[in-house]
Amino acid sequence: MPSGALLFQSVILGLLLGGLYALLASGLTLYFGIMRVVMIAHSAFLILAAYLAWYLHESVGLDPLLSMIGTVPLFFAAGVGLQRALLTRLRPATLTMMSVLLTFAIALLIEGLLGYAFTGTQRRINLGYSSAGLELFGARIAVVKLIAFGLAAVALTTLYLLLKRTKFGWALRATIQHRDAARLLGIDTDRVAGFGFGIGLATAAIGGTALSLDTTIYPSLHWHWIGPLMAIIVVGGLGSVPGAAIAAMILGLAQSLLQIPLGTTWAQTVFYVALFATLAFRPQGFFGGRLAQRF
Amino acid sequence: MPTTSSHARFPMKFLAASMILTLGACSGGGGGDEGGGSDDPIVIGISLPLTGDFSEPGKGVQQGYEAWAKVVNDKGGLLGRQVELKILDDQSNADRVVADYEQLIGKDQVDLVFGPFSTRLVVPSARVAEEYDMLFVEPAGAAKEVFEQGFKNLFYAAPAVANDHYNYLAEKILAMPADQRPKTAAYAAMDDPFAQGTAYGLKEKLEAGGVRTVVDEVYPPNTTDFSGIAAKITDSKADVLVGGSQYQDGVNLIVALQQLGYQPKLAAFSTAPTNPEFASAIGNKTAGVLSPTGYSQDAKYPSNTEFVEKYTAQFGKAPEEDQANGYTTGQVVAAAVTAAGCAEQGDCQQKLIDWLRTNTVETVVGPLSWDDTGKPKGAHMIQQWVGGDIKIVLPEDVKEAEFSYPKPAW
Amino acid sequence: MPNVSRILKIGAIVLLAVAVLAFPGVAPNPYILSAGVLVLNYAVLSTSWNFVGGFTGYISLGHGALAGLGAYGTGLLVAKGGLPPFLALFLSAAIVAALAVPIGFAALRVRGASFVIVSISLVLILLLVFQSWASVTGGSRGLVVPRPFDLSRPEHHRVFYYLFAALLAAALVAWWLIDRSRFGLGLKSIREDEDKAEALGTATFTYKLIVFVVSAAFTALAGGMYALWFGDLDPVFQFSILTGSYLVLMALLGGVRQLFGPVAGAIIVGVALEYFKVEYGDTPLHLVATGLLLALVVLFMPDGILPAVGDLLKRFDRSQRSSIREVSAAELREQRLKEQAGTETGGKGTGDDGTGRTAMTEAGGTTR
Repeated sequence: MPSGALLFQSVILGLLLGGLYALLASGLTLYFGIMRVVMIAHSAFLILAAYLAWYLHESVGLDPLLSMIGTVPLFFAAGVGLQRALLTRLRPATLTMMSVLLTFAIALLIEGLLGYAFTGTQRRINLGYSSAGLELFGARIAVVKLIAFGLAAVALTTLYLLLKRTKFGWALRATIQHRDAARLLGIDTDRVAGFGFGIGLATAAIGGTALSLDTTIYPSLHWHWIGPLMAIIVVGGLGSVPGAAIAAMILGLAQSLLQIPLGTTWAQTVFYVALFATLAFRPQGFFGGRLAQRF
Repeated sequence: MPTTSSHARFPMKFLAASMILTLGACSGGGGGDEGGGSDDPIVIGISLPLTGDFSEPGKGVQQGYEAWAKVVNDKGGLLGRQVELKILDDQSNADRVVADYEQLIGKDQVDLVFGPFSTRLVVPSARVAEEYDMLFVEPAGAAKEVFEQGFKNLFYAAPAVANDHYNYLAEKILAMPADQRPKTAAYAAMDDPFAQGTAYGLKEKLEAGGVRTVVDEVYPPNTTDFSGIAAKITDSKADVLVGGSQYQDGVNLIVALQQLGYQPKLAAFSTAPTNPEFASAIGNKTAGVLSPTGYSQDAKYPSNTEFVEKYTAQFGKAPEEDQANGYTTGQVVAAAVTAAGCAEQGDCQQKLIDWLRTNTVETVVGPLSWDDTGKPKGAHMIQQWVGGDIKIVLPEDVKEAEFSYPKPAW
Repeated sequence: MPNVSRILKIGAIVLLAVAVLAFPGVAPNPYILSAGVLVLNYAVLSTSWNFVGGFTGYISLGHGALAGLGAYGTGLLVAKGGLPPFLALFLSAAIVAALAVPIGFAALRVRGASFVIVSISLVLILLLVFQSWASVTGGSRGLVVPRPFDLSRPEHHRVFYYLFAALLAAALVAWWLIDRSRFGLGLKSIREDEDKAEALGTATFTYKLIVFVVSAAFTALAGGMYALWFGDLDPVFQFSILTGSYLVLMALLGGVRQLFGPVAGAIIVGVALEYFKVEYGDTPLHLVATGLLLALVVLFMPDGILPAVGDLLKRFDRSQRSSIREVSAAELREQRLKEQAGTETGGKGTGDDGTGRTAMTEAGGTTR
């Protein structure tokens, strides 16, 4: 039986991890809501952002957090460009399937180019505070993990406010709910969809920076992330941002706690078990709306 | 009734033809010599992981091979023939490594082959070499599984297999007085035959000596988040920490443990601590970390002095263990070639194998000899980080510093 | 006309068969022969993939996992179960086919996006399981499959080349038979418009499940054959997403509606992969090339290269009809009339003229 201290420590680690999952999954589910696109390349962009943060830190000594000033707008533009220039070219009838392949191809491109530019060597940013920790009721929290969680929390809150409180958010939600009707109301759904993609990729830029603070990165790391993220958005209900966030926190916590009895590798299977269970018993997801039903 | 497939006929013909042409064309180039000719260079085929998971140590081995080739050629070559390396990248992928050796032996008709890096790749490639009756000396397949496959052509060019790496350390620990001896141990090993072999070799001996195992974790090679494992180890308050690591995973685990404030009395990691980047990667908090090593730059073997000097001149820095392993492989094959007086495919390979089976070769890691499975009969030294530098502490007769236990806080 | 066309077609197939069978004889060295085995393996795999992808339009990125299961099943039955190699191969394929029923049940209940997610997850979860369950699978130590024949390596390649060729022929015949059957018709109606097909009484779920199981069985046979040929299995390489994506690329590139599409794609991509390995072996540029090719195919040639080349040829041959897709629709209608299927979808145009409508049903369907 694990000790209370270990359980508490694992809960904290799980919450910190869940925060990052929540941010990343919210981007993924946003794309799906807007265009029924499963964006396989989301995590490849995540790794790209982490590499940019690492590279700027190595070459000019820039703190990874500052690299976001550059990467967030850059990724936003890339997201808009991706949607407008590539995804809209696909035939609507086969959009979902073909977009998977297209974004898969983009993921391979990013992985290959990263490997070409930086080799397959694992990279890690060495910060002065890398191994520092804070004491909290007997548990210890690494400073870098806390910063990463803070980033995720701020970004998620911003995203939430953007969706709920702004006119653009209103238009975006309308587009997600019913594209044709939104168009009838005078919403420029194409523009909104483009911006939605931009926002999704911007979350990958923030997530990548958060990731680079604490873990090693290498070009093929994105496969490690895309599986859990996809499982999260299905469990949360495809297209639902709050659903994705809740599912991310729960599954992150579950993974962290299951590591105690099962070990690292088996604990990772929790995502896929949850995915299969969701599809077998509740295909529309646990927290999502009716959108998910048909996909 | 026209069917869709009828439209395939023209392209199919082209494709079938082009497949044969393309594949055929591949075989045209790639100058393999026909063996025999005394002025032709001796071509040595090698596949190494220059990209992918094992690219870092793979490049180290490559430099070792290149240094060896240069030293040999500067002295006039082998059997009066120059040595030429033909190195392919296997992308750390077992399918590729097999295709590579297939290409090198079957198509390029190389005279000799050297082994690749990592146990995962050594076993499949050794089988290719065996089925083509080639001698297979390898620098990196240290896990015991390699020697359980019944290979008759394989030799491991290093002092000891993974499970024996910590032999001196185990002896030292078990020789301590009962009240000082550590009581508990935590093990974390990468899911890799070599890395696990090192950790479990020590685990077996410590358990037999009464040191209780409190944590035994295995993580996949692609793990980047070690906080869960670190939390378990920290919670166990184990006296001894053993990491079966390659490089980056060892660094990540140590950082995660330091984040949680864990202070073991003894910490041993395979491979990682001997890497020149190690200290800076963990923020110089290296105090007392132990590591087994099969190679020391300061070892007094005659060829080692030459190796360190020539290598440093060629690459601008001193060689590490990976480089030494590559170089040793070259030395072993060279000794066999010189003794047998031949280097080509065919009957010659069996002569080389027979010679190695019964002889001892002087190398940069000391004299090497092998049992029937190709397993070397030696042991690894133990190094420890002392005051910002890594020094040999065991065995006693070659030590550069005192073994320190319990280790200072990191 | 049909007669001439049929003769030409049969001639082309015979020529292809001769070319494939003659290859080992003209292969200049064992390496080229082993590359040929690899290409044939890809051809079998992508043809097997095309049972699902071509007939139903469901894109599975997870067929690598089914091949891996077949390989491990065969390997374990031989190495640990002590069965004769080829009995193990077929038993393993039967087991994988049985496993495909629950997998298909979970994956095919959902459409489009979820199906892809499930197929990718299948690869990832099996990778984790086969890595972790080391006591059975050997884990990262790998699994060594004993050689079925005691042959020299070049001979070993030659034997397996013919075995793979036979398997390819079997897969092609099976695909061809389904393509001509009523069952195939039902499957194709799923591809064109699943809602309508369902509304008109096609048992879409059962159809999808059956063809998924058939596809899984052939994929497992190819995987098992690979295990017997290659001899070393490692979870990382058996359960790789990349394998699945290569299969999709091959089938799409060749053309999923064509019998020989996947084979053509396998030859192009397989040869290209070998070429990239030989020329740019020390860089990850093969990933870039794969990515670029996949993107180009998806964006500009979603019907594949065979129809594209066919169209090109037809520009010079006015006597034939203008579009491959019209032919397939006409063929559908013709068959449907002939068989008095009683359903009315035959009149629906497939392809480009149908896209607008399908798109609207999809968009509209979200609000139901």
